[in-house]
Amino acid sequence: MRFNLIVILFSCIVIASDQIPAPNQDHPIIISGATIHTVSHGVLENAEILFDGGKIISVGHNLSAMYNIERIDATGKHIFPGLISAGSTLGLQEIGAVRATRDYAEVGRINPNVRANVSYNPDSELIPISRSNGILLALVVPRSGRISGTSSLMMLDGWTWEDATLKHPVGLHIFWPSMKIPKTDQSKKKDKADKDARLKSIQQIDDLIQESRAYLKLKESESTSFKHDLRLEGMLPVLTGEIPVFIHANEIRQIEAAVYWTDRQNMEMVLVGGKDSWRTTTLLKERDIPVIYTQTHSTPMRRFENYDQTFTTPFQLFKAGVRFCISNSQSTFQTPHIRNLPYHAAKAASYGLPLEEALRSITLSTAEILGVEERVGSLDAGKDATFFIANGDILDIRTQVERAYIQGREIDLSDRHKMLYEKYKVKYQQKGLLKVPVSE
Amino acid sequence: MRENKPGVWALTHAKVYIEPGSILDDATILIRDGLIENVGRDIRIPKDATALDMSGKTIYSGFIDSWVEISAQTEKIIPHDAHWNHKVNARRNLSGQYEPQKKKIESLRKIGFTTAHIVPDSGIFQGQTALVQLNNEGTVLESGVGQDIAYEVDGWGSDDYPNSLLGVVALLRQTFLDANWYGKAIEKTSQFPQDNPPIKNNKDLDILSSWIHKNRPFIFETNHELSTLRSLNISNEFHLNSWIRGSGYEYRRISTIAKINPFIILPLDFPTMPDIADPYEELSYSTSELKHWDMAANNPALLFEEGIPIAFTAYGLKEKKFRKNLNRSVERGLSETKALAALTTIPAEKMGKGDQLGRIKKGYLANLSILSGNYFNNKSKVVSVWIGGEEYPVIPKYDIDITGEWKVTMGKKWYQLELKKNNNSYSGTITRDTTKLTLSKLKIGGNFISWQVILDSTAGPSRFTGHILENRMEGTAHDMHMSWNALKTGGIEQEKKKKEVESPSNISVYFPEGSYGWEKENRFNSKNILIHNTTVWTCGKKGILEGVDILFEKGKVKKIGYGLNSGKGVVKIDGIGKHVTPGLIDCHSHSAAFSINEGSQSITAEVRIQDVINSDDIAIYRELAGGLTMANILHGSANTIGGQNAVIKLRWGVTPEKLLYKNAMPGIKFALGENVKQSNWGDDYMTRYPQTRMGVEQILRDAFTSATEYKYEWNDYIDNPKKWKKKVPPRQDLELDALVEIMEGKRQIHCHSYRQDEILMLTRVAEDFGFTIGTFQHVLEGYKVADRLKEHGAHASTFSDWWAYKYEVIDAIPYNGALMTDVGVNVSFNSDSNELARRMNTEAAKGVKYGNLSEEEALKLVTINPAKQLNIDKWVGSLEVGKDADFVIWSDNPLSTNAKCEQTWIDGIQYFSLDADKKLKERDIELRSQLVEKILSKKSDEKGKKRNHSDKKSAIHHHCLEEQ
Repeated sequence: MRFNLIVILFSCIVIASDQIPAPNQDHPIIISGATIHTVSHGVLENAEILFDGGKIISVGHNLSAMYNIERIDATGKHIFPGLISAGSTLGLQEIGAVRATRDYAEVGRINPNVRANVSYNPDSELIPISRSNGILLALVVPRSGRISGTSSLMMLDGWTWEDATLKHPVGLHIFWPSMKIPKTDQSKKKDKADKDARLKSIQQIDDLIQESRAYLKLKESESTSFKHDLRLEGMLPVLTGEIPVFIHANEIRQIEAAVYWTDRQNMEMVLVGGKDSWRTTTLLKERDIPVIYTQTHSTPMRRFENYDQTFTTPFQLFKAGVRFCISNSQSTFQTPHIRNLPYHAAKAASYGLPLEEALRSITLSTAEILGVEERVGSLDAGKDATFFIANGDILDIRTQVERAYIQGREIDLSDRHKMLYEKYKVKYQQKGLLKVPVSE
Repeated sequence: MRENKPGVWALTHAKVYIEPGSILDDATILIRDGLIENVGRDIRIPKDATALDMSGKTIYSGFIDSWVEISAQTEKIIPHDAHWNHKVNARRNLSGQYEPQKKKIESLRKIGFTTAHIVPDSGIFQGQTALVQLNNEGTVLESGVGQDIAYEVDGWGSDDYPNSLLGVVALLRQTFLDANWYGKAIEKTSQFPQDNPPIKNNKDLDILSSWIHKNRPFIFETNHELSTLRSLNISNEFHLNSWIRGSGYEYRRISTIAKINPFIILPLDFPTMPDIADPYEELSYSTSELKHWDMAANNPALLFEEGIPIAFTAYGLKEKKFRKNLNRSVERGLSETKALAALTTIPAEKMGKGDQLGRIKKGYLANLSILSGNYFNNKSKVVSVWIGGEEYPVIPKYDIDITGEWKVTMGKKWYQLELKKNNNSYSGTITRDTTKLTLSKLKIGGNFISWQVILDSTAGPSRFTGHILENRMEGTAHDMHMSWNALKTGGIEQEKKKKEVESPSNISVYFPEGSYGWEKENRFNSKNILIHNTTVWTCGKKGILEGVDILFEKGKVKKIGYGLNSGKGVVKIDGIGKHVTPGLIDCHSHSAAFSINEGSQSITAEVRIQDVINSDDIAIYRELAGGLTMANILHGSANTIGGQNAVIKLRWGVTPEKLLYKNAMPGIKFALGENVKQSNWGDDYMTRYPQTRMGVEQILRDAFTSATEYKYEWNDYIDNPKKWKKKVPPRQDLELDALVEIMEGKRQIHCHSYRQDEILMLTRVAEDFGFTIGTFQHVLEGYKVADRLKEHGAHASTFSDWWAYKYEVIDAIPYNGALMTDVGVNVSFNSDSNELARRMNTEAAKGVKYGNLSEEEALKLVTINPAKQLNIDKWVGSLEVGKDADFVIWSDNPLSTNAKCEQTWIDGIQYFSLDADKKLKERDIELRSQLVEKILSKKSDEKGKKRNHSDKKSAIHHHCLEEQ
């Protein structure tokens, strides 16, 4: 039982190490005997995966053995592509309540130029915690004002933020203004004033786009009047179609306003949030607007909505043919808890979404929406060898993640929680309150 | 010069309502010096009386507006005799402050009011109300009618106690206790002056004490039906004579209110029509809000039907709206007689003036409302009111009605003139031969009339002026150089506009009102249920049983076994493939409460969640749908010693009282660490003691030291009656009472805590004062001192896996629950969140994932373990014979993310099932579409309307983490 042996060695390391980033893969590896959840082409029982140089060489049965190959027996285990969190402030914050550790919100309303990955702290304690449950990739998103900046897709291992970046920029993030008419004792006059405020905030974005286009024109025509402006520069990748706008919106009026706005501006849009997206599936389908749905673990927006509305929305999107993926909540409070990502998908699965779709919604669907489906999100030859081995279905809470690889590098799955657990077990073993286990 | 207006009048030939339901036609009312001397049909008019012809008029006893708020001044506080809390203004006597405001009294007279019950507008104990005449002098008829009490909540922004509903209720209760004590104390000191130091004078308590003693009315201002029920509870506790200033929502809990039958002063501010022209805006209206729009006008008739005495007020309404709404209620079945009583006899009698006000009878005050017709017809006008024998015209006397047909003669020619009035403006036509000409620039004012018209098509327009005499007009056609006169030949058939007559709403109240409410208030009979061939997680000694039957009878577990037979009338459920577990219990919740934190002081042991339960919170239903049956509703963690908790069963549909689980041990919330130090509240919060964990300990020791002394004094009082015979008894202090109960082991502490140092500290403080901590809540570093927890005997209720949201939880680990369990601490997982409380079963699964608890042990984290923590494991938390029939049927292993809650039962009553949910959903969709259709097909006659009603709200969710 070579596999078990490795696990034992590995748990000894837990106490000693401080999650040292793994070296590059220097020899081919075959993992065999596992149930492989390719996501792209079904589940392969008792199958093998061969990877080398950080890439998957092949997935299937009876893969040809090569010289100098390492074989790992994973009989009875399950292999999944690395889960992708589609948005959080991971690496940009350590302790939410401590100001000095918050780096996700730059001052001002319009910050298209700020870039998430440059302040990603690869030594954040939150990172090993997240990957311990199979989250191997995470979109890191600035959060402030109307336009918060550009997001980066990070691999959750690396010595520096540059090592860890898989893709940057991924999207320009716009937090759509509230379109609600405040539900208070307000006169018509006040209502009108509020409406105006809403229109003004949209106009503010419109103005910025117009300026950015003018700026682009000056730049492209190598005009002598051209002068650099970093904020406007930050808008260019959207104007040139290099990246989409990620519009954060939950309420129906926001969603519709955002969709028609991007239509008017001729931009590619991804909807983030989407609590009310089930109310407007036709529009989303027609325009092919993908949704990063972040609301599974939230209560319904309105008292009269179904008790399970937030659980069933993914199924409704699926049924309607809307492209979507499921994300953890993007509240900064939840950043330390993105390890629970698979359970968001699992909840959607118990309320209608087919199981294989649930898994896809946190892997390949996410990769597609983030524009990295050629590299990650499923177990296919040629893609990054970014996957993990678990002792069961990753959508089930009782399942343990046992080993994980990012681009073929086996990563250290120890973390602060495991270390503290081990430390305090010793306290009670010393006091005779806990048996010293014969074997782990 | 002295003024002596003549005061003897005879109003003749009027239709007189001498009292509700009793009418005299062609009657005379004699008024002498402000009083009614006589009323009747064949009354001789005394020589000295001047007769006023009231033919065609209807005369009512002057109406009483039972709630007129007057902006009250705070009387100069003299520190030595004032109550310590600035919201206690019982001494304030409005009758001494009242100054009539011309605009206000005129607007009330315009709708027929002659008398008003005036009330103050600020404070919690707002002061003494008064009954006044709406004459220009502001004659006070009665002072000290009632003591006005309001739930005035300043909110989180205020630093003064109380800033929450929790604190307001506590202040009310403490003040009533103090008033009773004060009365006795004053008695004792005056009886035995040499045995007692003088009592600190307190005018507010003095007044309240006599108020309670003399059974004078306290008036509670309510804003929804649950605040009415709360007020009635408080009244019951202190044996108060209580009135209610109603909210208009009484119909929602009418049977409960009717049982107590309080006098209700009822505003008629029905909601404006929901503005749903924008379909997206419709989404912002809850179903109960839409229903209220349809049902509110039924409320007055319903209250009368239930025999509840009510008096009306125009409070919150503009003049016209009051009569309009009153008439809407009449159209919906309120009898005119009762409506009249609510404006006259009922308030008069309740306010102690039944022998002077409310009727037109000999010896009564000459307060009259004179109308051009029936008051309950919108067309009738209030002509004038008489107040204490003095006439106050409402319609100017010079306004003469000249509508009708007239024959105009000019020289030898004659024309037909037609004058019409619409909305106070006249229009007219003049007919020559067959040509109808419209009068332009028609002006009528007093006795003067003028217009322009082209009578002769060959000439220009001619200006007419004229004087109005009785049924006759005379004047000049200036540009025609002729005179004219006119004689009235007839009235005009008023074109009857078809007015829609309202009918009572045909929809019924749900329990609770709104989406997912039940149709019957008393659906709560337990059923006998047999579940066949299923997997039962007993969470007791028998562990997990497969292929077993379980029988519930009379709300209890009757039998668990194989091949059980069911008797008659037993509901049989096929349990194949299903899993049955005990109802889940959440040991840390903030659902179902209107208020969570009284954060103005470091110690608020006197406030109680049970006073602010919101039984209508939709969170209850959503949590039931996740298999939760019980929750420990805790005060927030803003202060070291917070308020008293309430353990509830999620009996969706009942009143707040009935949610409370009586077997639960009383408890209280404590808190340690960053929240009570206000560490994360910003730089403005750096002065409240404590600001360090050192200070937290001292606050605790200080509190228990003073409680010890308090307890000593009380024990002495009880043990040595002789010694105390002449002495003032100790004052009861609700805050210290709670602390004494803790020390006596009658009340258990649920302490919000994170770090090991503070956990250890609190166990030591408790031991020093001789008691044990009940549960440490959150207790995220509990794993570091599990041995201490075990040794002390405290339980631990923790999050499954939260961490890193603030500095004190940097060492929180998801293995916490399992490690504490392994060391021997009784552990539960809690939600602290309305969202998480819907899926506690999968939270329990994290006990398996992190630390490898067995599945059986893991489920106990959310069943029997929290039951033990709340000291209710004798009755709930496991499925064992004799225990409550609180259970959940799951589609799969409850720890699996595949599992869906299919049915939730409490005490043998089904509160949730997928089938029932589907039906409720369909019903609500249908009802909403009916209401929407009704609203859309109605024309709105309201301009610039405000949304004046919306649903009651539960507290903004201040859970322990201050999640943004």
